[in-house]
Amino acid sequence: MTKDLEHKFIDEFQKNQNIVHKVCRLYTNNQEAHNDLFQEITIQLWKAYPKFRGESKLSTWMYRVGLNTAITLYRKSKRTIKTTDFENILHRIEATDYDPTEEEQLKLMYCAIHQLSDIEKALIFLFLEDKNYKEIYDTLGISQVNARVKMNRIKIRLRTILNP
Amino acid sequence: MKELDLLKKDWKKQNTYFPKLSYHDIYILIHKKSSSIVKWIFIICIAEFLFWTGLNFIIPESYLDIYKQFHLNTFLYISQVLHYILLLFFIFIFYKNFKAISVVDSTNLLMEKIINTRKTVNYYVYFNIALYTILSIILNVIMLSNPDILIKVMSLEDTTISTDNFLTVLLLVQITTFAVVCGLLWFYYRIIYGILLKKLNKNYFELKNMEG
Repeated sequence: MTKDLEHKFIDEFQKNQNIVHKVCRLYTNNQEAHNDLFQEITIQLWKAYPKFRGESKLSTWMYRVGLNTAITLYRKSKRTIKTTDFENILHRIEATDYDPTEEEQLKLMYCAIHQLSDIEKALIFLFLEDKNYKEIYDTLGISQVNARVKMNRIKIRLRTILNP
Repeated sequence: MKELDLLKKDWKKQNTYFPKLSYHDIYILIHKKSSSIVKWIFIICIAEFLFWTGLNFIIPESYLDIYKQFHLNTFLYISQVLHYILLLFFIFIFYKNFKAISVVDSTNLLMEKIINTRKTVNYYVYFNIALYTILSIILNVIMLSNPDILIKVMSLEDTTISTDNFLTVLLLVQITTFAVVCGLLWFYYRIIYGILLKKLNKNYFELKNMEG
């Protein structure tokens, strides 16, 4: 039974693993930290999986566990942040876009987002994933009105970071 | 905001450059040990329960002989029974709160549940400090108001030190010990809250402030 469940979980996780990668991308600055957080989220997903009843979509459930782990449960194993690795992550953007001004803007945008707080990152993440305010409420537990207000504040903050 | 739209466009394209973990990779990952904050809080809380309960057993029997002379046996016995009843009560609440922690809850609720679990243990520690303080005040008042028995018990009759001096020294030693213990506790909690709970508290208050 456990083996069956394990097999089912790994199968489903494999198909949806990008969700976890995306959470890690927002919350970490280097590959090592990315892998570390990825591991913790995977463990938490597996621990919670037996209780997953399918009342929500698996992806929605993964968003929630992923963000909760990143915001609340995860503790950095190492405190040092290597700036060189951070550069490497930023460089990956270049491959996807050829417009030099757009590319520059994207780089700045990712930099700006890394300066936001954990909660603000979660809101941006859900925004980027096209989640509506109802889903933001379900995931973070803040009311739809407050989520909207906060989202506007984040936009203003990002603008200030980009144009100091 | 046009940069944000640009970012969204790019965000959707990034799937291609994430590494793909194989079945075997994931299998290895889920069999690794978690190092989540909940696990650490659980370990620390259990250790605190053991420490505060263990203090009762560390005190040697002979030490209690002093209190016999003051006819305080029943008093101490009742306070101990009361202590154990409250200990069971605290462990029950702790277990209930701990079991309620679920990673599938909304972030707000999850953080609230973790903080509640931690609070149970904090209340247990406050309760212990209060109990030890009250007990030592009561015992001191009783002992110091009967200096004759105290001096007899401590078999200090033949020393040159005067009764007044002796009582002053005794009181000073006790106050110093109390202050040192309080200082150590304060230091310990600074560490717990500073290292372990800093991130949790910060994020919790940010969400709470958002709800105004």
